[in-house]
Amino acid sequence: MMSRRTRQILLRLLTYVMLAALAALFLFPFYWLLISAFKAKDQIFALPPQWWPSPWRFVNFASTFEKTNIVRAFFNSTVIAAGHCTLALFLCSLAGFAFAKYPQAPGRDKLFAFVLATMMIPGAVTLIPVFVVLCKLHAVNTYWAMIVPGAASAFGIFWMRQYAAENIHNDLLDAARIDGCGEFTIYWRIVLPILRPALAALGILLVIGSWNNLMWAFIVLRTKNMFTLPLLIYLLNCENRTPFELIMAASLLATLPLVAAFLLFQRQFIQGITAGAIKG
Amino acid sequence: MNASLLHRIWAHRHFYLFISPFFLLFAVFGLYPLMFSFYLSFVQWDGLTPMTWVGLGNFQNMFHDEILLTSLWNTLIIGLLYVPPMFIGAFVFALLLNSAWLRCRGLFRAAFFLPVVTPMVVVAIVFGLLYGQEMGLLNYLAVKLGFARIPWIVSEEWSKISVSVLLVWRWTGYNMVLMLAGLQGISNEYYEAARIDGANAIQRMWHITIPLMRPVFIFCSIMSLIGTVYMFDEVFVMTQGGPGTSTTNFGLYLFNVSFTDFKFGYASSMAYTIAFFVFLASLLILRLRKSGTE
Repeated sequence: MMSRRTRQILLRLLTYVMLAALAALFLFPFYWLLISAFKAKDQIFALPPQWWPSPWRFVNFASTFEKTNIVRAFFNSTVIAAGHCTLALFLCSLAGFAFAKYPQAPGRDKLFAFVLATMMIPGAVTLIPVFVVLCKLHAVNTYWAMIVPGAASAFGIFWMRQYAAENIHNDLLDAARIDGCGEFTIYWRIVLPILRPALAALGILLVIGSWNNLMWAFIVLRTKNMFTLPLLIYLLNCENRTPFELIMAASLLATLPLVAAFLLFQRQFIQGITAGAIKG
Repeated sequence: MNASLLHRIWAHRHFYLFISPFFLLFAVFGLYPLMFSFYLSFVQWDGLTPMTWVGLGNFQNMFHDEILLTSLWNTLIIGLLYVPPMFIGAFVFALLLNSAWLRCRGLFRAAFFLPVVTPMVVVAIVFGLLYGQEMGLLNYLAVKLGFARIPWIVSEEWSKISVSVLLVWRWTGYNMVLMLAGLQGISNEYYEAARIDGANAIQRMWHITIPLMRPVFIFCSIMSLIGTVYMFDEVFVMTQGGPGTSTTNFGLYLFNVSFTDFKFGYASSMAYTIAFFVFLASLLILRLRKSGTE
């Protein structure tokens, strides 16, 4: 008969083995992406499969830069993600602060209820009209088409309001008013620094969504010089003209920034995802 | 009276100023589109030529639209295939990652969570590579182990399963993180009290953990429902909804009707109708929360 202690140790060992195996399984597609990006084309489709590239063909990346529009796409994706994130954070923190800290304003609660109600509108219903609006504004195939439409995020306002209500003390605001600060100065100098953790978490969510967005890019971006990374990779994959190893190299380049950022700021990422959900 | 209201509004002008950017953007990209697409539900329009009023015609057409019905059926089947394993996996991982004795938690959490931050288009291409009929790694292993090649994404029988595997991989980490946050929110006092009362591990799980996790489960269920109905990138890139229409879910079909066929009117009526049913289903799931706690 095994002692209680031995049984516990065995059970824990088994758990480790199982978790490690599953983690390896989850990481496997990343591994496959990584090594495929460094293989020659016939090695990617070789049988038996090559588990390790030999040699590591760094030249794949040089050819990707040369033969595809990836540098431009990288730039576009960065501008769009940064622009979308900045605009949304500004709008949401400003409105969230206002909803949290001006309780006497007539109609505040009704307006806030309205904001909450807008959260229930599914994006699929407004897809076509937003596209039509962008056409009328001559904004199709511009950065604006990617940056602006999703920036009015009711969810972001809700979140900022919660955070502001819990973390900003009225005394602080009153003291600033006595010192003669204008309301916007108060927002800019006092409120924004306090909101920083919430801004970081919401910003991460916004950047993930923007960086990986394929559908909207497909709808509103038309010319090569405007393509984002997901759209570029999707189209390269469809056309069947570009060597496959270059598509893998481009895919790796598109994946790396967020994966690296996640590994560096794991806690903020997780907080962003969970705070967003638990409160939403 | 009126003057005093105006006075109060003026006194709080900053409030209105601060919320106005949101309302301005929302009016242009939310409220107006919402009303416009409601109007579009009753017309035929390709975006270029003038609209024609068709009354309820679009809604009647939905009943005879074979592909729409197939896409809804596919949505249901794919949902049933991937949500249960994803849910159980996420919950088990969350429980394990929440146990105090486990080391390397950050490492495991990162491994399961990484798919969430990966561009879907890349995921779909890599999975397409692994699923390859002749040269794919999975079929190589299958043959090596003495099985026949599996037609992962080239047969209608397997395509839904293959998409579901991708979805499990993609979403387990997301749900795990939500459930983990839920578990960490449960006060230890409950478990202490139960232990004093002599409850064993299974009883603690059944009477404490699961009931207290109900709100998280409900949130995850609603997110999965919405995610499955409106899923797009996964099937758009990997299978284009095929073979045939076997992996065309509602989201992809809606996209095709909108931006391949340019039937803006019909697409709007579909979007409204399905959004209504998704809303009803979400309410139903929310009801579970109430009935459970009573």
